[in-house]
Amino acid sequence: MNWWDDALHRATAEVLLAGALAGLVGVHVVLRRLSFFTMALTHATFPGVVAASIIGVNIIVGGAVAGAIVAVGVAALSRRRSQNTAAATGVMLSGGFALGAGLVASQNGFSRDLTSFLVGSILTVSPQDLMATAVALVVVAAVLLTCARPLRYSGFDPAGARAAGFATGGWDVVLLLVIEVAVVTIVPAVGTILALALIVAPAAAARQWSHRLSVITALAVTLGALSGLGGLYASSRWDVAAGASITLTATAVLALSTVLSRLVRTRPTVPVHLRAASA
Amino acid sequence: MNDAAAADAALRCTEVSVGYHGTPVLTNVTLDLVPGQRLALIGPNGAGKSTLIKSILGLVPVLAGTCTVLGRTPSHARTLIGYVPQTDSLDADFPVTAGQVVMMGRYRRIGWWRPTRGVDRRAVQEALDRLGLADHARTHFGVLSGGQRQRVLLARAIAAEPRLLLLDEPFNGVDLVSQDAILSVLRELGAAGTTLVLSTHDLTLAHEFADTVCVLNGRQWALGPPGATLTADTLRRAYGGHAIELRDGRTVLVEP
Repeated sequence: MNWWDDALHRATAEVLLAGALAGLVGVHVVLRRLSFFTMALTHATFPGVVAASIIGVNIIVGGAVAGAIVAVGVAALSRRRSQNTAAATGVMLSGGFALGAGLVASQNGFSRDLTSFLVGSILTVSPQDLMATAVALVVVAAVLLTCARPLRYSGFDPAGARAAGFATGGWDVVLLLVIEVAVVTIVPAVGTILALALIVAPAAAARQWSHRLSVITALAVTLGALSGLGGLYASSRWDVAAGASITLTATAVLALSTVLSRLVRTRPTVPVHLRAASA
Repeated sequence: MNDAAAADAALRCTEVSVGYHGTPVLTNVTLDLVPGQRLALIGPNGAGKSTLIKSILGLVPVLAGTCTVLGRTPSHARTLIGYVPQTDSLDADFPVTAGQVVMMGRYRRIGWWRPTRGVDRRAVQEALDRLGLADHARTHFGVLSGGQRQRVLLARAIAAEPRLLLLDEPFNGVDLVSQDAILSVLRELGAAGTTLVLSTHDLTLAHEFADTVCVLNGRQWALGPPGATLTADTLRRAYGGHAIELRDGRTVLVEP
């Protein structure tokens, strides 16, 4: 029997890859303060996934289309200062989710359970899903690596980056689309509601331990993969829903890291009084 | 004006109006700077100093008149222009070291994905040395003091080897040590032929730094040597009648 024929084996590989992918993009979500945008993305992919499921196309394609609309929409809104981006993002979040819920309710005898969208279904991961996650991880890592300089410059100093000739609006779209690819890949496994914690928590924990992007990234990827693995183990050990236990593990990792970094007084974040002085 | 003269000028603005969304915030600015000239833009908050600097960078549209940098339009001259933004526009929590910030000045030369070369690393080290930051190359930008941050940003601009350097309020929140370091490097750059444009509301620093002063507030009120422009009369008119005292030859702004 092939190793991949076992559902638990496939699930193990999927949580490792998805956790690493979540940690990798999570670093940029945390640094650029895009948690709320990412939250909107996870919920906006929901109607796309449901619609794809109804029509009978690949659900990742459906999620990708819905997510891309939100990513480009938010990028366009944030270019117009007068618009309240946070308000628009919030409306997209609940509007998208409502659309998905409405679609599910409108289908009599709908083959998939609503819960599987909301909290994921890691144990039903197919070899194709696994391959998609692996490809997404490689692509996202390659894009973040080759675009490290413009992303760093425009994240740190947008005005300076524009003055130096970088099209910061374009690079913002690149970053939003990278996050979108990761979200769309992770959501079927971990679920619409739960994906955000796996993306943000490992990166936020990693940020507490270093000021070097390379170290933060390595740490976030490791913590993301470990959260996935730990959550899956807890799920099979105590028979809890996998999506929920993965999310709880990621949350616990962040809580533990916060406590530890306070105890170990080497935590190298900027003291509040220096922040005020810089303004 | 012939083309050769335009190419000789480091910065030439002719009756320029700049602003946002078609509404001018600053009108009728006429400047003509030769290489090595040191210009201070003086004016109260909201006078349009930052907007003028951003329009020379090609970030804010020129609504009327023409502006050329070394004979080119601003957006075509970006590789020749260095820019030191106000530090409060930066994300100080972002995980970058002082050395990485200075390396940003080399990005245009390196390209956005090619590996850095020895010449880039030497330029970064040299720029850090000149501003007395050699020991801070690996220090996180966010833990530096306001003055050190400002010096890092100047080092970044120097590393790009610009021929025109624009500085937006470089002395805001800066300690005396950093202020002296910045002033002495700016003098060296001017002597080496780099044209400098600096905005400030500090009249004493303008006296120390500039060979030419441009007084702005909504429009250009005066242009010339510090002694001829930073007079009580000019400043009183530009600042809208705020009390201005003349004391032992120096002009002092007094808050109303």
